[in-house]
Amino acid sequence: MAHRKFKPSKLTLFIGLFLLGIIFLLLPQDVTSKVNFTFIDIFDYFLNMGTANQQQQNKTPGTFVSSQEYQRLQTAYANLDEQYSDLKSQFEKLSKLRLTETDPTTGLVIAKIVNRKEHQLIINRGSKDGLAAGQYVLGDNAVIGLIEQVSDDISSVQLITSTSCKMPIKISAPEINAYFNGTIQGDGKTGAKIFNIPQKYKIRTGNSVYAAERAGLLASSRIIGKISKCKLGAKSAVVWDIDVKPMYEFENLMDVAVVVIKKPEFK
Amino acid sequence: MKWFRFSLLILAATIIGSSDLMNYISVTERFIKPNLLLMLLVYFAISCETYDAIICSFAIGFAADITTTLIGPYFLSYGIIGTALTFIRQVIILKKTAQQAFAILLTGLVTQLLAIILMKFKISTVTNAGFFITFAMSMYSGILWFMLKVPVVGLGKWLGVGVHRFGMRMEERM
Repeated sequence: MAHRKFKPSKLTLFIGLFLLGIIFLLLPQDVTSKVNFTFIDIFDYFLNMGTANQQQQNKTPGTFVSSQEYQRLQTAYANLDEQYSDLKSQFEKLSKLRLTETDPTTGLVIAKIVNRKEHQLIINRGSKDGLAAGQYVLGDNAVIGLIEQVSDDISSVQLITSTSCKMPIKISAPEINAYFNGTIQGDGKTGAKIFNIPQKYKIRTGNSVYAAERAGLLASSRIIGKISKCKLGAKSAVVWDIDVKPMYEFENLMDVAVVVIKKPEFK
Repeated sequence: MKWFRFSLLILAATIIGSSDLMNYISVTERFIKPNLLLMLLVYFAISCETYDAIICSFAIGFAADITTTLIGPYFLSYGIIGTALTFIRQVIILKKTAQQAFAILLTGLVTQLLAIILMKFKISTVTNAGFFITFAMSMYSGILWFMLKVPVVGLGKWLGVGVHRFGMRMEERM
């Protein structure tokens, strides 16, 4: 008996593939993201081909430091300055009140960027390394975003410039030695915005913006960026419209660090 | 159509398209890059037989999905728009390079719009590039098509497509 090769009609083929697409769409993201992560895991080397070359180009010979290195040191300095202020404040409190010393439980998990998209990074660390959604991600010592999705060995990072990335912040006002609290949200371009800060607060262009401490996620404030524009609100003149320029340079990011705070074990 | 060669080509385009090599040809501080898969989608949709074009469109859509964190939105949007394009080319023969470049621009906009709508079914917060980026990326892809057309057509011949002419095969027209 002769074999007849099965070949569906064009309409059957289209409907079949369309239904397959609907099934893909209906499958939970946790299941389908494994395919994405597997692809990135397999082709990690090829996806990062350009990065290694860029790194070579960015190396500046001689005694001068490159602008990238200068920026990194500036950020490190801003963080140290902030930590110094925190410690000073703690010391003042401790001198008045005897407190039990808390364990330094903050850990950093260093991860390599394996792929990058607009407002998103894929890193080579996952739940096996203690990563979980919502954790803070540092790049060049500044907060660059939050962990979005996690699989066993790989995770995605939502950058601070993403419109769906929101986090509590503190704006430093060194002139009056004060901090103002607010919420930052990405502008979907290359920066972020802070809304609803009352105009009575003395905020100026150039002031530093820090990610505020969050229990179980961030033990001390970390710099995000600097205010690049501060003007009266377009909708309401009683609040500021604040634009923030992140400290990191997207194209210079090679490695990131994820803040992993170990939860205390109760016996 | 030589499907093994096709899969190799799509895999290579997917890897190159999502690698950092594309940063070398990105323009402006917003890193506008061309979309290689979009160019291939339009090429296969207007060069292959309708039957093969449907498979190619969905396959390229899957390749576009695999570099994001969702599976499904681009599979459907590339599949639907690619299939639609194969039927459109039976009415409007996209023979000139400029017409094909314009088709790339329009296809880029429509597929992205459809993909964003489909993404909203899966996740509540969709991080999309915005209209300007999508438009600029589609336009860049369209402009780059003037340079890439010759090598892509050459690769098409290697795959066994587009050897006759842009538009329908003679037997399809009968």
